[in-house]
Amino acid sequence: MVTVTEAMAARREARTSGRRRVKAAPYLFVAPFVLVFAAFSAYPIFFALQLSFTNWHGAGALKVVGFANYRYLLASPDFWQSMATSGVLWLLVVPAQVLLALTIAVALRKARFRGLFSAALIAPFVTPLVAMAQVWIILFDKDFGAVNHGLTSLGLPAVGWLTTSVWAKVTVALLVLWRTTGYAVILLLAGLSTIPSDVYEAARIDGAGAWHQFWSITVPLVTRTLSFVVVIGTLTVFQLFAEPYVVTGGGPFNGTRTAGLYLYKHITNSDLGLGAANSMLLVLMVLALSVASIRLLRSREDS
Amino acid sequence: MSTRTGSVRLGAAGRYALLIVAAGISLAPLVWMMASAFKPGGDIIARPFSFDAGRLTLHNFRAMLETIPIGTGFRNTAIVVVLKGTLTMIFCPMAGFAFAKYAFPGKRLLFGTVLTTLMLPTLVLLIPLLLEMSQLGWVSTFQALILPGAIDAFGVFWMRQVIMAIPDELLDAARVDGAGELRIFASIVLPVIRPGLAALGVLSFINIYNDFVWPVVAVNDEQHQTLQVMLSALAQNIRSGQLGADWTSVWGQLLAASTVAAIPVLAVFIVLQRHLIKGVMAGSLKG
Repeated sequence: MVTVTEAMAARREARTSGRRRVKAAPYLFVAPFVLVFAAFSAYPIFFALQLSFTNWHGAGALKVVGFANYRYLLASPDFWQSMATSGVLWLLVVPAQVLLALTIAVALRKARFRGLFSAALIAPFVTPLVAMAQVWIILFDKDFGAVNHGLTSLGLPAVGWLTTSVWAKVTVALLVLWRTTGYAVILLLAGLSTIPSDVYEAARIDGAGAWHQFWSITVPLVTRTLSFVVVIGTLTVFQLFAEPYVVTGGGPFNGTRTAGLYLYKHITNSDLGLGAANSMLLVLMVLALSVASIRLLRSREDS
Repeated sequence: MSTRTGSVRLGAAGRYALLIVAAGISLAPLVWMMASAFKPGGDIIARPFSFDAGRLTLHNFRAMLETIPIGTGFRNTAIVVVLKGTLTMIFCPMAGFAFAKYAFPGKRLLFGTVLTTLMLPTLVLLIPLLLEMSQLGWVSTFQALILPGAIDAFGVFWMRQVIMAIPDELLDAARVDGAGELRIFASIVLPVIRPGLAALGVLSFINIYNDFVWPVVAVNDEQHQTLQVMLSALAQNIRSGQLGADWTSVWGQLLAASTVAAIPVLAVFIVLQRHLIKGVMAGSLKG
């Protein structure tokens, strides 16, 4: 009797310890992620939040100043100029990118040598940005650049690509478009590949032309992927740092000082409390834009 | 009927014309960079579009070697790519496995964290992370370059999708045979997801090799500078006139340095581009 209960207890213990081992396993597997995330993402974010309510400059005790940093930024023309610059870049990049990428992806869907074309299109995305930024500086130089060389040889006037604040935005936007459109094409191609071809077959039998097929089948069915492309584009533009940092340094006349570069300025000025507050505003902005673009495209999908 | 085939054929011609133009625009700046790096300084300005094989020179590359310690840049980048890439390729499938195949308390919260992290601008972490590094005494160290990005939310998310496709029966069969969870991960999950893992490897390599924002903030000394930071520093020296007013020869140096920095990643891309494109596509289908 005793031995039976002992055996049962032993078996129960074995079973629970076995179950415990299985239960511990998932935590073991997520542990590196949790540790790295806690140390280098969660902790810094909470620290930044705390910092955003202080006027800290990098040394000494934290002095709480309430919402002063936020009030300062929201009243600052520089802050709004940086946001507006990012907004203009968004307008220059994202609609053009969606249009170009969708056109190219539709063309690519039925083409031969798809692998070769895909590789060529995504090559700019792979090349180091800093290297390509140098090429942009040289190509778009007002006096000696190849682009103006080409324009003048066609009898067109030379453009101050990097010397006027309007054209500098265009130059940066062209770099972003050039680097990321191929990536968007590949994303859309993946979305297009999920559309069964008999849908097109049916439409063709009903007499739908190519344009009609595009609007009433292709576009609605890739809306999810399109919204993904828009969200990625929005995140890219509002986080834009390296492109303007290397190509224009934010100039001329702060014409390309994006939200990201303005944030960086607080670091170089050691205005860390202000910079942290600026970060928080940027997070809110990016989240709001992502949610808004997803909502907008989803509502189109439903209708 | 004949008009119809005509229109289809015209459509095909237009399609290929569009694709060839798009591919040409994608590649032209790269080709121009590499070709111009071998031109004598003055030609880059005077004849930007001509290419005369008889006038090619290595002058720009030699001058560039004298201006920046590009060997150190390569070494530092290699250290960061290998260590950070290895950690990413171990940690991401581990976390992905847990999210795909286990039910455990806190899973929803943790996975929600992964999804939120995907949306978080890297720039937001810049200031607090830099302060954390200085508290730890890690400014200008390899730890600072490697550890903060050792896990990547996209990688976790994506590995979860890949691992979810593995049938549970396969894992259960191994459990019946007495295999432990770690063993199941190492000898069943990892081999099965090899294609997805390869794509993650290519993407990670490209991202880490090209990374610029964090290295430029986290490193202040030349000893730990990565290739990309070095290249940007060279450009800034040129812009501020530190290398003299002879713009033409300096442009050649910049193009030579850019070419040298681009070639390793382009070589990897050309060899493994199938995996990369597959990886990008896999990432989007789930988005």
